[in-house]
Amino acid sequence: MKIRVLPAAFGAAFFTLTIAGPTAAQQSDSARVAELERRLEAVTREIERLSLGRDVVEADTSVLGFGPAASKVYRVNRGVSIGGYGEVLYENYAEDRQNGDPSGVRDVADALRAIVYFGYKFSDRLLFNSEIEIEHADEAYLEFAYVDYMLRQSTGIRAGLLLAPLGLVNELHEPPVFLGTERSVTESRIIPTTWRENGIGLFGGNDMFAWRGYLMTSLNSEGFGSSGLRGGRQKGSKALAESLGVAGRLDYLGTPGLLVGASIFSGPTGQGRELDGHTVAGGLLVWDLHLDYEARGWDLRALLAGAKVKDAAQLNELNGLTGAKGIGEEMLGWYAEAGYDVLSHTDSPHRFVPFLSYERVDTQRAVAEGFTADPATDLSVFGVGAAWKPAPQVVAKLGYQIHENAANTGVNQWNVQLGWIF
Amino acid sequence: MDLLSRLARLGLVAMAAVALGSPQPADGQGLTQDEALRAAFPQADSVVRRTAYLDDDQLAQARSLAGSEVPVESGVVTHYLAFQAGRATGVAYFDAHRVRTFPEVLMVVVGPDARIRRVEVVRFSEPPEYLAPGGWLGQFTDRGLDPELSHKRGIANITGATLTARAATAAARRVLALHRVIAPLGPASGGEG
Repeated sequence: MKIRVLPAAFGAAFFTLTIAGPTAAQQSDSARVAELERRLEAVTREIERLSLGRDVVEADTSVLGFGPAASKVYRVNRGVSIGGYGEVLYENYAEDRQNGDPSGVRDVADALRAIVYFGYKFSDRLLFNSEIEIEHADEAYLEFAYVDYMLRQSTGIRAGLLLAPLGLVNELHEPPVFLGTERSVTESRIIPTTWRENGIGLFGGNDMFAWRGYLMTSLNSEGFGSSGLRGGRQKGSKALAESLGVAGRLDYLGTPGLLVGASIFSGPTGQGRELDGHTVAGGLLVWDLHLDYEARGWDLRALLAGAKVKDAAQLNELNGLTGAKGIGEEMLGWYAEAGYDVLSHTDSPHRFVPFLSYERVDTQRAVAEGFTADPATDLSVFGVGAAWKPAPQVVAKLGYQIHENAANTGVNQWNVQLGWIF
Repeated sequence: MDLLSRLARLGLVAMAAVALGSPQPADGQGLTQDEALRAAFPQADSVVRRTAYLDDDQLAQARSLAGSEVPVESGVVTHYLAFQAGRATGVAYFDAHRVRTFPEVLMVVVGPDARIRRVEVVRFSEPPEYLAPGGWLGQFTDRGLDPELSHKRGIANITGATLTARAATAAARRVLALHRVIAPLGPASGGEG
């Protein structure tokens, strides 16, 4: 009987395994596999959440009455942002001037700038940004410090110590961004980089355009001279606010790699100074047209800038300037530079960019009646050099500049620059 | 000069009007994953989440394909397959990476031909001036994993936002490299280059 039972039992088991379905043990295995799959799914979701951020992955919820997309800005991503840039510059001057006279200019090695950017994001709508700069290793400046509040996704209001939105270099002056070993003369004397003033304004943009418009404390004409506007910067330090100006800029961004636009500043610069009992306005207009193109190894940029100063004769009298030392009523400058990354067709992570540049500047293109122009203010700079970028944030440049002016007193120079940004 | 000065003041007023009157955009920076996927696959019947687990060889292959400048760190690759009429029509990847200090998340959508269909900024935390414009992101459309997909060649820079440009280009190469290794849509039917 037992002998018969066993085959019957095996038969039953075989039937159960093959036809009737899984045993309890197999059911247990299936449940365990399902549980492991569930746990694995949970782990991968958690990895995704940690990687992308919970605010991205989690389901939409409306906050403060906004729709999901609008309320997104309230899903806060707070934190401190730190960046920086710097440059060390060696300048080796020729012994002779353009006219053969001894130059008398000594070579200089300067830790020109070391900058730390500090930002703090209170929410996606509200952020603080600042740049603290040490120049020449021993001069400290607050270069900008502002608060942004996003009114719309693409439009915000900005207030604090602002960079004037003019030219190519004033807002983007990190050494890896421009080709030459030094900032251009045009963007030093006519657009007095780094030009920053206290103010308030709006900024915004879309896929095609970016714009900024600020109301700022104006320059102070007490510092103007024959070589341009640079001395008029108040730098936000106890800045006189008797004269305010407006600054604006519009850039086209619709073609990848291309930035082309224009900017303008307009405002009085007298800052309440009086001459013979009358307030001198000293109206100033600064404008520029600019272009930057970076694609397929090419790095091209050009800028044309001009300035007009009203009441130049009165300002000269107030500043004690006579003869050829007077402030130009009209100033004009332009430059063009071109470079090509000769490693762009290789797999090398390095960039090696030989470049050429040419610049013309005249800060006394027109002078007030009774004054003369200093021929040394009508100058040109031809530059040739190369930039090596072992990483996009680090650059070493070697360049030679030929300086000429109408007074034949130009001094040529070799420059070596080391720059970084992070 | 007076005319230009007046224009400058008028410009400031016009900017204020534009700023205060401009409508709230419905999409773009600050999308959730759901919103991004709906925008990427508007015709899809369903979007299915999948995860691929790369072994060491596959990870090494992905790194080789991505290139020496592009880090590929994770072997866990979550992706979203879109189905229409029972057929997989595309796959979306979400790539998180650091721009300067803060992270960025891009959605990269890949078609059956292993070419990029769309790149969308899902999350961007740096100051807005470093955000890649939509027109610039359009450069990635129809790009395959080839040498032209490089900031040194086919991808133009963003003036003043080089780190953003490089991060996005690296993300595109990383996604296409992983896509080729895990092949969620089967072997590419089009030229991958």
